[in-house]
Amino acid sequence: MKMIYKMQSVFYFIGGVSLLILIWQVIAVLTKNNQLPIPGPAQTFLVLEEVMQNPMEDSPDHKGILVKLFSSLGRVFLGFSIGSIIAIPLGILMGNNKFWMNLLNPIVQILRPVSPLAWFPLGLLALESAEGASVFMVVITSLWPTLINTAFGVSTLPQDHKNVAKAFDFSTFKYITKVMLPFAFPHIITGLRLAIGVAWMVIVAGEMLSGGIGLGFFVWDDGFNAGSTEKIIIAIFIIGLVGLLLDKGFNLLQKRFSYDK
Amino acid sequence: MTNNTAEVLIGKADAATNNIGTPCIEVKNVTVSFPSKGSVYTAVKDIDLTIGKGEIISLIGHSGCGKSTLMNTISGMVKPTQGEVIANGKVVQGPGADRGIVFQNYSLLPWMSVYQNIFQAVDSVLKDKSREEKIALVDQNLKMVNLYEHKDKLPGHLSGGMKQRVAIARAFAINPSILLLDEPFGALDALTKGSMQIELLKLWNLDNRSKTIVMVTHDIEEAIFLSHRVVVMNNGPAATIREIVDIPLDRPRNKKDIVHDPKYIEIHDKLLGLLLDKFSIDDIH
Repeated sequence: MKMIYKMQSVFYFIGGVSLLILIWQVIAVLTKNNQLPIPGPAQTFLVLEEVMQNPMEDSPDHKGILVKLFSSLGRVFLGFSIGSIIAIPLGILMGNNKFWMNLLNPIVQILRPVSPLAWFPLGLLALESAEGASVFMVVITSLWPTLINTAFGVSTLPQDHKNVAKAFDFSTFKYITKVMLPFAFPHIITGLRLAIGVAWMVIVAGEMLSGGIGLGFFVWDDGFNAGSTEKIIIAIFIIGLVGLLLDKGFNLLQKRFSYDK
Repeated sequence: MTNNTAEVLIGKADAATNNIGTPCIEVKNVTVSFPSKGSVYTAVKDIDLTIGKGEIISLIGHSGCGKSTLMNTISGMVKPTQGEVIANGKVVQGPGADRGIVFQNYSLLPWMSVYQNIFQAVDSVLKDKSREEKIALVDQNLKMVNLYEHKDKLPGHLSGGMKQRVAIARAFAINPSILLLDEPFGALDALTKGSMQIELLKLWNLDNRSKTIVMVTHDIEEAIFLSHRVVVMNNGPAATIREIVDIPLDRPRNKKDIVHDPKYIEIHDKLLGLLLDKFSIDDIH
């Protein structure tokens, strides 16, 4: 049964990718006579081979593609970690205490819809570093999903579970570690999963503004400025693939910490 | 069985039915109301009930008659709108480990194994015991409810009856002076139910019959077999105590023999009458 299910999902994956390549090829053929034709899969693959050469090269005049990727990932993880370290305790505080919820919720609601890019200039002024500004942007944007989901998880802790803690004289420490956190954990992971997704989207935009070494700047400089549509497309695929892997990673974590009610 | 003097003493207390000894739980003029859709729903009204130390009391009545609500005022999970409950000499302010609870919905923590559910309770309540003693207590209680081989399972993988047994083991393990049981054997099959009732009485005997036990039940036979007194409630809303029936049967009681005792039959009929009478009145309109 499991085998059949796996084979099915492989089949669908191959089918989906084939469809994408087909559409891509059609667009390439249709735009052949345009001023700027969209390169087809075959042509892009040739450039990919070139891009993939010496992926780990780290010399002053040339950085390999993986060096750029890891540089972007490093910024994302730094920003995401700082954001999570702020968001989780704050979310617990809000979820557990009406006072803090009522006090902080309006602030969250005002700041949450703000485009991540709007924070960039502020970060640049405050930190006086383009690198720092990108990380700052990731910190801010990865705050909200984690904060909101943690607060929701903690605040929906059923009265039954609280009664158990009271009826058996759980200490505050035991209440937090054995009741509140385990209950909120799936929600916290959901928040983190959303946050890392947003952070990964935001870093590309950030690096376009900040320059330096990273996938975002690769799209802008090696792709757009150098007039290589192939590299833009390649970057899009790499960004998409890495985003998918990050999401899968958190999905695994989510499964690991789920339980039957 | 084991302690003859205790038996004689309890026998005497049974004979003098109005003498309930030192009060352990005092429900004083308790009314519980809940706000409901703009109006106020009164579950129980003006309840007075004194329960002596070492007494086993059953609360019986139709569904929704407020017996669980009354029980929850003793456990501290429901605050009386009026009146107060005193348990072990203190006004009840909330749940606490001096009153071990078997919740109606079991209330196990779903992310913890059966073993951990009991261990965490034991670890919190019996702080002075060593780790080995705590582990031994958990094992002993798991064996008592026949769940030792399921100790590593999560509650989500257990049947309703098994979850109920875990909840019973958890409440027994912390050895509280008051045990509050909300339909504790309701989800069990007849055979398991019988053996759990015996376990409850064993536990009570072990402690020189000093534990006070209050249980909510639907089961008349169970109430008679276990209790000193059966509290019959009127139908809600605003339920009151209809009658308190003494069960002057000698202990130890034998489940098989007791049913042929004329006194048992008399009490059984009386309780049935109290409950059915209510039922027929409801039937008319």
